[in-house]
This record gives sequence, C-alpha cells and structure tokens, in this order.
Amino acid sequence: MSYYFTILSPTDTPIFNIAFGTSKSGGDGIARFRFPDTAQYMNQFIIHSSLDIVEEAQWTNGGMYLKHIDTYPPAAAYISAFLTPSGARFLLLHQPPQLPNSGSSSGLGSSSLLGSSGNLARGSTSSIAANPTSPQTEEAVRQFMTEVYESYVKTAMSPFYKQGMEIRSPVFRTRVNAAGKKWL
Amino acid sequence: MTSPGDATPVKPPPSFSPGVGRSASKSRYPDEHESTASIDAELSEARSVSSPTPPLSATTAELPIRSASPQSRSVRSSTPQLARSSFGSPFDGRFDGSEDIRSLIIRAFSPTVAVYASEDTDELVRNKGFKGGFWELLRPFGETVTGKVIIRDSIGSSRAWEDYGVRFVDLKGLGRAPASRDSGRDSPLAQIEEVLEQQLGSAEGSLGASLPSKDVLGFPATTSLAKLFLRQLLSSTPAAPHETFGHPVASVIAISSRNKAPLETLRQLYAETNTGDKRLPDWVHQEYLRYYVLVHDEERDDITESTKLYDQMKRHFGLHCHLLRLRSSQCVVTDDDSVQVPHCEWLSPQEHLSGVGEAETLVDLGTDGTPYLFDSDVSAIKSFIRELTVQSVIPFMENRVAVWNDQVASRRRGISGRFMSMSRRWAGFGSSSRSGIGGSGGGNSGNYDTEHNYYRQDTPEAILRKMADFAFMLRDWKLASSTYEMIRSDFGNDKAWKYHAGAHEMCAVSMLLNPLAMSAKIKLESVDQMFETACYSYLTRCSDATHALRCLALAVELLKSRGGSATESAARWAMRVMDFGLVGSVGQILFMERVAACYASKTPVGGAKWGARRRKAGMWSIFAADQWLKAGKPTLASACLEEAERLYADVLETDGVFPMPEMQSFIDNLRHAVKVEYLQARGFDAQDEPAADDPLRTEEISEKLDKRNHRRSLIGLPAQLDAGTLMSAGPRDIEEEPNDDFERA
Repeated sequence: MSYYFTILSPTDTPIFNIAFGTSKSGGDGIARFRFPDTAQYMNQFIIHSSLDIVEEAQWTNGGMYLKHIDTYPPAAAYISAFLTPSGARFLLLHQPPQLPNSGSSSGLGSSSLLGSSGNLARGSTSSIAANPTSPQTEEAVRQFMTEVYESYVKTAMSPFYKQGMEIRSPVFRTRVNAAGKKWL
Repeated sequence: MTSPGDATPVKPPPSFSPGVGRSASKSRYPDEHESTASIDAELSEARSVSSPTPPLSATTAELPIRSASPQSRSVRSSTPQLARSSFGSPFDGRFDGSEDIRSLIIRAFSPTVAVYASEDTDELVRNKGFKGGFWELLRPFGETVTGKVIIRDSIGSSRAWEDYGVRFVDLKGLGRAPASRDSGRDSPLAQIEEVLEQQLGSAEGSLGASLPSKDVLGFPATTSLAKLFLRQLLSSTPAAPHETFGHPVASVIAISSRNKAPLETLRQLYAETNTGDKRLPDWVHQEYLRYYVLVHDEERDDITESTKLYDQMKRHFGLHCHLLRLRSSQCVVTDDDSVQVPHCEWLSPQEHLSGVGEAETLVDLGTDGTPYLFDSDVSAIKSFIRELTVQSVIPFMENRVAVWNDQVASRRRGISGRFMSMSRRWAGFGSSSRSGIGGSGGGNSGNYDTEHNYYRQDTPEAILRKMADFAFMLRDWKLASSTYEMIRSDFGNDKAWKYHAGAHEMCAVSMLLNPLAMSAKIKLESVDQMFETACYSYLTRCSDATHALRCLALAVELLKSRGGSATESAARWAMRVMDFGLVGSVGQILFMERVAACYASKTPVGGAKWGARRRKAGMWSIFAADQWLKAGKPTLASACLEEAERLYADVLETDGVFPMPEMQSFIDNLRHAVKVEYLQARGFDAQDEPAADDPLRTEEISEKLDKRNHRRSLIGLPAQLDAGTLMSAGPRDIEEEPNDDFERA
C-alpha cells in the first residue's frame, strides 16, 4: 500500500505533502505508486478532484473524520478525508500494491494514465495492506489522522506560523512520518 | 470531431432537437470544397509569410489555446463560450444533448422489415441507379417515417412519436448474417475502431476551413464522434437468437407491373419465405406480417392495368397491399425535380468501411456518386412507408403484443405460472410437473436447445422475449421492462446465458427509458445490478465483447441522461469500459470524454454550490486532451483542453492557476505541447523547434514563439485588433507570473 498525504488550506492550496509506503507486514516505508515516475502529478489530480466529494460530504457528515469518501477506479486509488475546525483538510490517498500479473493494461498509450485494472476486494484478507475499504483500514486511517491532527494543532499554534502558510517544520514531518509508520 | 462523412448521413428526424447541428453541417460544405482545393497553397503561403496575411490570420485566429487570463477571458466568453454551451455545460447539456442521445438510442431499436422483391422489380430499380435493388431504394427512407406515428400501449393510452422509423433489411441476407460474422476475420469492435479512425483521418484531412465554422456554429468537438461511435455500436449487432430486434416484424413482398404472371409470382415469393433456402433460421418467429407491393412503372405501363391488378391483389391477399408508382428512368442532377437520396443513418461498420470511399468522392467532386430520385418518386415512397408503418406494421405489433400478453404472459404471471417457475427451480422434486401448462413446465433444459444454444421460436420463453422486444420497439417501456423482469430469471435457470444477459440488459434499459418510473434510489441500485449481471454474462460466460460494450455504452448514456446521482454511476460504467479494454485507443479516449461529460452534467443541488463534480470533469478532460495529443490529434486535444478550462473556471480562485504545483506544471506543459503540435500540424514553424517533443523544456520554446510574433507588444491593445494572436500566446506571459510567485511561496 502506498500513501500520499496532503494538507490543504481552506483555499485549496497544499500546505503539506508527503508520500510514504506501508511499514506493516514487511513494507519498507517507500511509496510505490502505480503511475510511472513521470506521472506523479496524478496524485495531485486525484486529490484535487476528490475535493468535489469533500465539499459535498462535509455537510452531510457530522464528524471530523469523513472516512473513505472517494475512489479513482482506474488506478485503484482511495481517498480518505479529515476536516479541521480551521478549514484545513487532510486528504490521504491510499493505493494497494499492484499485483505483478495484472500489470498489462489493455490500451498501450493509456496505460500510464490509467494504471492497471483494479484488483480490489479480492479474497477476505483483513490486513490493511490488501483491502483499502475494510473497517480495519478505516480505523487505522482514523488513528493516523487524529495523531497528525494533534501535531498539526501544535504546529499551527507556533507564533511563527501564519494561517495558510506552507508547513516547513521538520519536526512536523517526522511526526507525520512516525504516525504513518505506526498506523499504516 | 465533425467531419463530412459523419454529418452527411444524419437524416434528422423531426424531433432531432437542436437546429444548430443541421445548419452547421450544411453550411460547412462550401468551405470544404475550398479547403481541399486550396489547402496546399495556404500552407505554403503560411510557411513563407510571417506577417498576418489573410491565410495566416485565419489560421492563428483559430489557434486552439485560449489560456484563461483576464484579457483573453473577455474574448473567450464572447464567442466560443456561448457557442459551445451545448456540450459539457451541465445546464444545457442535460436537456438537448441527452434528449438527442435518447432519441438515438430509441431509434436504434426500430422494427425490422425484410424486403423480398421479385427479379423484375429489382431490375426496374437497378435501372434507376440502385445497385442493391428495391431494398436499397427503400432503406434510406425507412429510417424516418414522415409525420407523427401514433402508438397505443398495453393499457390503451396512445402517444404520438415524431421520430419513428423502420429498418429495411434484405431478406436474402438476413439468416446468414451470424454465420458470416463468426468466420469474419475481424470482429465488429475492430471495425468500429477502424471506422472511427477513418473518420478522424478524414477530419484531419479537411482540417483547414472546417474548424472555424465548427467553433463559431458551436458544433461540439467530439460529441458527434461519440455519437457516431454509439450509432455504429448499436448497428453492429446482426440478427441473433437471443434478441429479436433484428428479426423481421414484417416482410415486404414486391412485384412490378412488368411481371407477366403477377399473382403467381406473389404466391411463389410468399412460399419461398416459408420454405426452401430463403426460410429464416429456426430461432426466428415465422409468423411475421407479409405486405404485398405492386410497383407500377409510370413510364412504360398502363395505370389502368395496374389498378386492375392491384384490386385483384387486394381480393387475394387482403388489406396489406400497396400500389407504388415509380418512374423507371434514371434521374440525374440536372433534371428539374431531382431530389438527392438521403444517406442511411444506420449503416453497420462493415458497410461503413466499404462505403466510406464513396462518401469521400462525394465530398470532393460535389454531387456525383449518390443517386438522385424524382420528386414524385420520393413522395410516393414516403407515403408508401408511412402507410406500411402506420396501417400495417404497428397495428400488427400492437395486436401481437396484446395476444401474447393475454395468452402467454398472463399465464406466467398467474399463480400457477409462479408455481411452475418455482418448482422448476427445485427441479429435484418437480419432475412430475413436466407435463404442465402449455409446455411451459418443461424443466430446466426442456425448451432450451443446449446443442445449438437457442430456444425454438415457438417456446414460451422465446415468445415472451419477442413480446417484450415488440413492446420495446413500440416504446411501451413499462410493459417491456416488466416482461423482461419476468423472464430474466428463467434464462438463468436454463443456463441460457446469452438470453440471460440480453434480458437483464434490456430490462435495465427499458427501466431507464421509462420516463415515469424510477425515482427511488433503490431502483437505481437494481438497475446497476442488472447491468452488472448482463455485463458479466456477456463477457465472462459468452465472451461476446460487442454486446457487452453495447450494454455498457447504453448504461453510460442512459444513466447520464437521468441526471442526479445516476451520473456518477454512469461515469463509473464508463471507467469500467476502459478497464475491461473493450475499446481501442480512440474509443478509450472517447470514453474518457464521456466520463468528463458525465461528471460535468451533474448539477449542484439547491442554492448551495456543493454537489457538482467540476473538478472531476475537468480532470478527465485534461486526461483526454493528453491522450488526444499522444494520438496525434492536436485539434481535438485543444478542444478538450478548452473544455477543461471552462470546467475548472468555477472552482479555481484565480482563473487558470491551479493550487497544486505539479498539476500546474503538467497543465502548462500540456497546453504548450498542444499549441506546438497544432502549429506544426498547420504546417508552419515546425522546422526550428526540435525540442517540441520534449515537454520538459517548454520555457525556451515559449520564448521563441513570443519573439517571433512580437506578441508582448500586442497585449495592451484591445482584443478586436487580432483576437487570434492575442488569445494564442500573449496571455501566457501574464499567467506565468503568478505561477512563479506561487512556487516561491
């Protein structure tokens, strides 16, 4: 499972980005997305497009954690969202690892964009690495979000931080990384 | 992409909604001639001349990129914005666009009328310039019946339809179609793809003058291509056992007044349709309507003789007769009352491929190639077809539906029928019920011929399916869907998978077409479920990719036209199509555009702005633009890009500036690449830009462009000076600045 975590300011500007891979079940914590290296913009496209859903879901869901809100089927990318009271939004894109045999997509020219065919929900494995919509995953993401939120509040309360500014604090980055290692 | 070959065959039915499309295609013709003639001259001129001479300014004026900075915005919103509003714009698109698609889908399932003419009739018609005989003469006119057609549904209420049509087929080729298809070297899907590519190629060829007229008159760039695709897809399925849309509802038996022994010939023709090698296969219901036509030759024969014969025919064969008066000489353009024969709208991909060369010569040389008819002939044929449809075919179908509904369906609906189907499900103890009602209790494999994979035409399952199809063609979707619903599980029990898939597909389609039903969300889920089952049965159990694709394409279009939350499942189905790899590379891009269109058509609810899917639609448009560019179609890419900008305009704080840096750079590169490719395709400025292929080195290239035309100096000037140059490259400079600013922040 590969993760791409973004904090968006209320004006949709990203103030923090991090990509990491799973550390569970022998993962080395390095993100391996299905897109080739030249197409890493896809993550941002997917995150950006899921803002449509966030805007809709935030009015219908009372909690801060909106759970899994959106899917991008061609690349099997799943988006979970978390709202903060100040209007910043945490968006986590998670993508299950690609199986080696499902790699050959049909259209040659389009394979870079479309990724490959999704192999979601196969089997009944409950580990979060395999099934992005299982309750276990939801719970793990919730834990991760809460922990990041805690560090975010601390960072945002720093007197040198202005609302909407990019977060450049290395401490915050380490904390997010640690939370990712711990829960995802 | 609009192109001559596409626009011509469209014979608009009265309800074909926007008038824009028609006028566009008509007015485009003169342009086409000019462009093909002078395109070389224009290009060479454009290469050598750098100052804005008329051809150059003409080309730059349609330069595709209108980047969204404040200056260009005023220009953009003045013309193209208005003009293009019929496509992705959620507010208009949902109404006229989808009505159009719905009408297309409805008309795709028209009753089939087989034509069987005597040798002398075919001879007469061949003299008029129709090589295929009487069938070819009737075919283009059958696609739209003039005037309103009133149909009564099963509960007795009637409704008038403006766009009703029948499909004429040649009886001789009818039964043999499936066999030839199996042995054919390439599948219909490959042919569809080929047709699309040809269409694109011919569109590129006439790149010159056809584009501005498209832009101005607001012909949306690729919806016509998508429509062509859908039309091809819907007409690519030949008569098959598991659905009866291709089976004849009626058969026209024609003789001419030249015949020496008319009544005997008619009898003989009739007999040949029942026996012998003209007999249709066993899965076609044999009791279709026979309609007898006497073709009178106005020039060589005596009308009193023919009338006498016609009266005799009526006495012998009943009321389903017609006297068609035609002139036997060939009509040429120069004749006073010559009328061009309309093109067939529903050509199968195969016919399209073999006939497309013909269409091209038509465009180039003007008028040669298509047959002409006398005005009197045209009106005679039209009134004949109207009479055939209104007085014979439709009453016959209504009658059949009523009878079958009474005799077969109601028995199934009744308590005993339910019991029957239940006992069949647990066939272990239900074996004694084999001698049940009317043969319908035949157990699991009773009626299904597992060896040849079809139901015989007189089994209740086949009749019910036919009844449902008839109801569907009569546009009584309520009855159709309830009948499909009733039989779909039976097919599953019999493991008749193709029938099973077909019934699920049509059940969902008729549910979606029914304007009254389906407000609840549960229904939507069941429709999704049905498409899922149909698709699985087609693909996995029967490996029939053509039908699977048709099913999914119908799902996409109909769910999209439903609006609301259905558009999201429409988009999901479109993504499924891409995922399954059912379509080729062009089809893949078309479906990307459909996804974008689906998302774009989702309108926000209430006063709040949420509920729209602008970002998603924009994203898919961008991807489609990228793919068009990779496919070497910069004009289409630019259209998509423009669409994407329009969609993004609502959600971005500053126009054209994306909050995410990587997105921004990707879109900038894409914009630039499209522009460069476009200019290259137009044939100028290609030689000094070897770096144009490399999207990462765009900065230098853009400077080059700027220097060449001194666009900086033009920025301050008002837009009317030269809208094209201004829009094309000038605003980029401005736009770059906030971008840089952002990256520094």
